[in-house]
Amino acid sequence: MFFQEMSEQLLAPRYLGWLWDGFIVTIMISFLTILFSTIFGFLLAILSQSQYRVIRILIRCYNGIFRYSPLLPQLFFWYFGIGNILPLEFKLWLFDEPAIDLGYLRITMPSFEFIMGLTGLTFYSTAFIAEEFRAGMQGVKQGQLSAAFALGLSHWQSFRFIILPQAWQISFPALVGQYMNIIKNSSLTMAIGVLELSYVSQQIETETLKTFQDYAYTTMIYIMAIIMVGTFGNFYHQRLLEKGKR
Amino acid sequence: MDLSSFSDGFIVIKNNLAYFVWGNYPEGSIGGIILTLILSLSAIIIASVFGVIAGIGLTILIGWQHKLLVLILSFLRAIPILMLIFWTFFLLPMIFNVDVPAIATVILALALIGSAYIAYAVYAGMITVSVEQWQAAYSLGLNRQQVIRYIILPQAIRMMMPSFVNQWVSLIKDSSLAYIVSVAEFTFLATKVNNRSMVYPTEIFLFVIVVYFIICYALNLLVSCLTKRKKPLMFN
Amino acid sequence: MIFKLKNFLKNLTIGLTLLANAVAINYAYADRLDDIEKRGEIKIAVFDSNPPFGYIDEKTNQIIGLDVDYAMAIANALNLKLKLVSTNPANRIPLLISQKADLIVANFTVTEERSKAVDFSVPYFATGQKFIAKKGVIKTPDDIKTLRIGADKGTVMEITLREKYPTAKVISYDDTPFAFAALRNGVVQAITQDDAKLVGLLANIPQVQRDEFEISPFSITKEYQAVGLPKGETRLKEKVNQILLALEQDGEALTIYNRWFGPQTSSAMPRGDFKIGDGSLY
Repeated sequence: MFFQEMSEQLLAPRYLGWLWDGFIVTIMISFLTILFSTIFGFLLAILSQSQYRVIRILIRCYNGIFRYSPLLPQLFFWYFGIGNILPLEFKLWLFDEPAIDLGYLRITMPSFEFIMGLTGLTFYSTAFIAEEFRAGMQGVKQGQLSAAFALGLSHWQSFRFIILPQAWQISFPALVGQYMNIIKNSSLTMAIGVLELSYVSQQIETETLKTFQDYAYTTMIYIMAIIMVGTFGNFYHQRLLEKGKR
Repeated sequence: MDLSSFSDGFIVIKNNLAYFVWGNYPEGSIGGIILTLILSLSAIIIASVFGVIAGIGLTILIGWQHKLLVLILSFLRAIPILMLIFWTFFLLPMIFNVDVPAIATVILALALIGSAYIAYAVYAGMITVSVEQWQAAYSLGLNRQQVIRYIILPQAIRMMMPSFVNQWVSLIKDSSLAYIVSVAEFTFLATKVNNRSMVYPTEIFLFVIVVYFIICYALNLLVSCLTKRKKPLMFN
Repeated sequence: MIFKLKNFLKNLTIGLTLLANAVAINYAYADRLDDIEKRGEIKIAVFDSNPPFGYIDEKTNQIIGLDVDYAMAIANALNLKLKLVSTNPANRIPLLISQKADLIVANFTVTEERSKAVDFSVPYFATGQKFIAKKGVIKTPDDIKTLRIGADKGTVMEITLREKYPTAKVISYDDTPFAFAALRNGVVQAITQDDAKLVGLLANIPQVQRDEFEISPFSITKEYQAVGLPKGETRLKEKVNQILLALEQDGEALTIYNRWFGPQTSSAMPRGDFKIGDGSLY
């Protein structure tokens, strides 16, 4: 009797399958966002050291606008605003989710929602990562740069061999924090119809009304994914520190 | 979209401006932008205090205490804020029979998570301040508490200021997740107006972006003003 | 590896779930009706952004709507003070289980799957799932099969569509305004909702757009909305049923209906032959 009641209360196996599918999408969109926003963020941070005032101001504007407004309306902007501007043929092509032939690899195009969600997340996270990295570069002391010049290193060399590695080391823990944020933020893409973990979780809730059970699973899955990123980050940071000491 | 319908949208915003700013006040409880400010300001203050303490803890604690602290902080960094708010609001009263007001739950959840991030920023700053400085400070005859308080911490905080501002800004924006427990902060009210007026989501959420931008940018300006004024003091 | 992780997840979460359940079951044995009467106040959860069922009035900033009227009628019949608790699909069940609300009167659609988690009163409202699209796009139910369709989160619309028309692509948005924005932008070709909400939507938009869109001539389901109650509260459920049936008998139900959907309202819609108490019960 008790066990029957319990199994009535638990989520049916098919819903666990749904959650799993949602989790995969969450991982995909987070991973791609981390990848792109790290690349773009570093480029922006480096460019923000440019000697041209215009470039510096432009980058500051970019960082300000994307960091100081909430992600959710930004996603609406990409999905409804930019989605509106795109040519109709292109959108229709995307809606069909065509498969792309890359020689030996065939990739199914992700959904229009996924692409717009990824774009929004990347633009948003890039600003944060650029800022963290800029903070790291500022942490490297001016004296070190002068010393590098004195050693006869060129501007680029001193940047590449003196500033960059140290900045990377200083800002790394903060970057890991941003990566964890990206996983959490990815849940907001459910508002524009990306079939990720939170979206699926809401579907299950609507269908079964087992809110607590459903949210318990979802919370655990997020915590696990984010702890894995954090653990890996800590581990890598320790190695960075040891390398620094040698 | 033609201009006339765009201006209709802004009329909707104008008509609801008072509602956006303070919600149902004074007939009901306070809401809107004012509540967003209250929520995020309280969370920022608590998060910063806890964060600095935990950051020092990360630097000086060893053994099991360090492990415990890391465990707690990892948990807080890992749990989505929405879920922490949800569980504290609904599960705490059921397990411990205490009824936490929704607004307090939101502040607590925001502050706890914010402090975990700030702790790591403080920690990163403190270990970056070079070993020589610690040694030099010790040789001046300062004890460990003094070294941390007067030498290491100020440098670490100054170095990590951009990171702090990042976290504070995040807290302001995350306060919009309070909808899960029906707290009437700004974004939530915007959603309600959006549902009533039906056809102006673009205008309403553009307005939301602008308001948050102003709040966050003002915070940033304030911080950079304050830190700039401090610099000469530190160096003379 | 993946399999292992899946298993681990399962075990890990069972613990938390059991805890939540234990508390939930524990609560189910108290008699809620006695509690409510002793308290002298009934807490009823209603939507606050779902016109015309429950939304914030522009002038007074108070929650009004059809569901609110029913909440008031129930409180009056019980001779109790009414406390409205504003809710949304994400927290209505937790509010009920954690006793922050005694009843849910929030456009709550009855399904068999849902009745495993909560009890439902007799239905007090009936709707059919319809569509809005550009004129001429949807003429027969077959037209749905190839479309991208926008739906609202927290409604059973998406589930129904997925079961009945698996080839249609359904995208759920947070609220109706977003679904409608997606329709206007061409991201989806139709949106789906209750006929009651769609009529309200069309009534609300500027004339130019109203001419462009139309509501589908057919509905693909018949759905019933009922009061949600905590599981196992038989006495409370019977009381609520009595009250609702009495509302139909003394004509109050019709008055409430006409206040929101009557001929003189902007979202006029005939009530049809539905009477409170009709419809399938779980």
